[in-house]
Amino acid sequence: MNTNLKISNVTKIYPGCIANDNVSLEFSSGKIYALLGENGAGKSTLVKILSGVIIPDEGKIYLNENNLKLNSPLDAKKNDIGMVFQHFNLFETLSVFENLIIDSDEQRESLREKIDTTMRKYNFSIDLDIPVLNLSAGQKQKVEIIRCLIRSPKVLIMDEPTSVLTEQETSELFLSLKKFSEEGILIIYITHKLKEVMQLCDEVAVMRRGKLVSVSQIKNENIESLANKMVGQNLKTIKKKISKTSSDQLIKITNLNFTSEDPFETNLVDINFSVNRGECLGIAGISGNGQSELFQVLSGEIISEKRSIEFNNNYIGDLNPQDRREYLMAFSPEDRLEQAAIPQMAIFENVALNNFKSSNFFNNGLINENKIKEHSKKIISDFNVNTDNIELKSQFLSGGNLQKLIIGRELITSPDLLICFNPTWGLDVGAINYIHETLIKINEQNKSIILISTDTDELLKLSDKISVIHKGKLSKIMNAEEVTSEKLGILMGGGN
Amino acid sequence: MIKIVKRDQPSKVIFFFTPVLAIFLTLVAGGLIFLILGFKPFEALKFFFIVPIADKYGFSELLLKATPLCLIAIGLSFCFKSNNWNIGAEGQLTFGAIVSGGVALLFYDQEGFYILPIVILAGAIGGMLYASIPAILKTYFNTNEILVSLMLVYVSKLILDYLVVGPWSNPEGFNFPETRQFSDSARLPLLFEGLRIHAGIFLALAAVVISWFVFYKTYLGFQMKVSGFSLKTAKYAGYKGKKMIILVFLISGACAGLAGVGEITGPIGQLHREVSPDYGFTAIIVAFLGRLHPVGIIFASLVVAITYLGAETAQIFMQIPKYTGQVFQGMILFFLLASDYLLFFKIKFIGTKK
Repeated sequence: MNTNLKISNVTKIYPGCIANDNVSLEFSSGKIYALLGENGAGKSTLVKILSGVIIPDEGKIYLNENNLKLNSPLDAKKNDIGMVFQHFNLFETLSVFENLIIDSDEQRESLREKIDTTMRKYNFSIDLDIPVLNLSAGQKQKVEIIRCLIRSPKVLIMDEPTSVLTEQETSELFLSLKKFSEEGILIIYITHKLKEVMQLCDEVAVMRRGKLVSVSQIKNENIESLANKMVGQNLKTIKKKISKTSSDQLIKITNLNFTSEDPFETNLVDINFSVNRGECLGIAGISGNGQSELFQVLSGEIISEKRSIEFNNNYIGDLNPQDRREYLMAFSPEDRLEQAAIPQMAIFENVALNNFKSSNFFNNGLINENKIKEHSKKIISDFNVNTDNIELKSQFLSGGNLQKLIIGRELITSPDLLICFNPTWGLDVGAINYIHETLIKINEQNKSIILISTDTDELLKLSDKISVIHKGKLSKIMNAEEVTSEKLGILMGGGN
Repeated sequence: MIKIVKRDQPSKVIFFFTPVLAIFLTLVAGGLIFLILGFKPFEALKFFFIVPIADKYGFSELLLKATPLCLIAIGLSFCFKSNNWNIGAEGQLTFGAIVSGGVALLFYDQEGFYILPIVILAGAIGGMLYASIPAILKTYFNTNEILVSLMLVYVSKLILDYLVVGPWSNPEGFNFPETRQFSDSARLPLLFEGLRIHAGIFLALAAVVISWFVFYKTYLGFQMKVSGFSLKTAKYAGYKGKKMIILVFLISGACAGLAGVGEITGPIGQLHREVSPDYGFTAIIVAFLGRLHPVGIIFASLVVAITYLGAETAQIFMQIPKYTGQVFQGMILFFLLASDYLLFFKIKFIGTKK
């Protein structure tokens, strides 16, 4: 039987951000659909709406012309929509079989038979009676898939399924998905990995900043065109004037490696680069390719080998962020609300997070509140933060104003190097321009920047040199003048 | 029509109003319970909350009970403000009592000004040692501090049991499960003739002042505050998050240990099986009722201390089991959690529309 799933004008608004902005999409069985977008583009919100986890503010969902009321995950199950989440929802200490029967009211015997049939049909071999913790990531995912399959779903949604899989497991998964699709299950595949989309899917819908950007046939697309759609292409890029190229080296990274114990993180492999004074090095890439890990290694949140980072002729690889600040480095992390600032604390308290010995915020272990407040007032006026109340909790600042406060906090001590990660993410045009102008000004003062960003326009506008990070490896470093967004697109997708 | 609206910013007034509301609701619910049990509610409440503190002796008893509660709650506030759920203060109190009691027994036949400070110090160290177990297991082995600290309570009580029955029992004590009496030099001095209130109250007051100073005025306190809100931010700022966790546990353990010292060198004067009527657990309620703020905790400890006294009076005069005290403590916490809803939401009354 043919299945038709229709999303009609779905909108979901969170305070301060529109996660889904009037999204309409239509899917039919027999094809595999990709839902493509960067982290935070709104694809997860959309599939959570489809699986009943989130209730949309506006809009309707139709399955075979029936308007679905999805108020809870249970409703989605009843309507034959199955979902496999990125992070597994399994009880590690229970056996596979116990995990499968836990949300079913069928008889154990008949269910066991059903599971066996399903496994035989799709060539899955998993011992049903061992605890889940003994399974590999790929096998756990199969358990999740079986859990959906035994309910004979009409729709199967896979959320970033390959992020924890090996190459081998990935190709096995793709074979299974193709088989499901042939049997009439409608498959929606969420990812930001372009190669997978090209390999597996028939149609692709691209989302960016909550909006649906395009829907197209895979045969009319290539990696680079999809990458451009995903990160957004803005043709009126104004490049900054590259005035002088100094040869005075400020920071040098040599053979830097990072291996994570967390399967959701990316390992960094043999990172080598250097940045001169007055220079901006842009690091492009599709999010999730190691940018966050690279930022943490550079900021000192992750400590590395002492000699792997040389800054101003000092080896600082083993120093923590506070010690690195003493050498005049400054950091602006990606996550404004959970890392760069504490929303529940006042503006001036947040200012005190960037603490140098010479700033005298804390004397002999005591808080020097007057000094901090004086300093905060200066940041607010120098960096155009739209408030005059430094006792205000920072959660009441808009994203743009909070980012100005953070950049201001990092810059007012005139550091030699600013490392920033997606500094304009989610901001409005005015704030973006302000931040960009500020960053250009830093370079003019002969200070350096490492700009890790997923926004290609931003990188082309601000960088003197650009490199691309893909699966934890850096491409060779190119002069920004020689780089086009097409070329970046190819490199970001893993091409040459 | 009633509508519930989210608040933009919780106001300071409501922050301190909800504990008062919780106490009021507890009184109402308590009255109802008494009514159901067949007592006159107002009279029963009077026996419970007013009679016990109506005279000088009663007031001294109130301060006596409030002292350990306040001391432990101050320590716990360091843990709770930084999201470390140490609920084993009762165990840290007991272990502090064991260590300080052991030291006091060494000096049982001696007198000297130096004995009491050594005994007090030993209690603080004992509490710290005991609190360091869940702290180290949490930071280096990722265990859950709630489970570990709670289970260690029972371990410490069994150790105490073993000691007072076995090796430390009074050789002249006819096999009663208790140790020798401590010498007078190991006892906290009484403040007034004929009343049980002792110098331990100064330890509690000192803890209040010091904790206020550390938390609100020092860099250390600032780092604890940041680490409590977000470990990610603490890491980014370069603070040593793990050390911070161990530190708050040590502070909390030291306070609980001191409370233990106060009990055995104050009113008790020896070690026996019941060194604490669950002060360590009740102090959790005190800490939250006092909004984890030093001044709030002073008031909260007085309020909760009344429930201990009231339960005793009610048992004597009205033959109500003394466990009613725990019912009241439970109700305070229950209503406090419920009225905290008002911190984030406000109730709006809107004219009915047709």
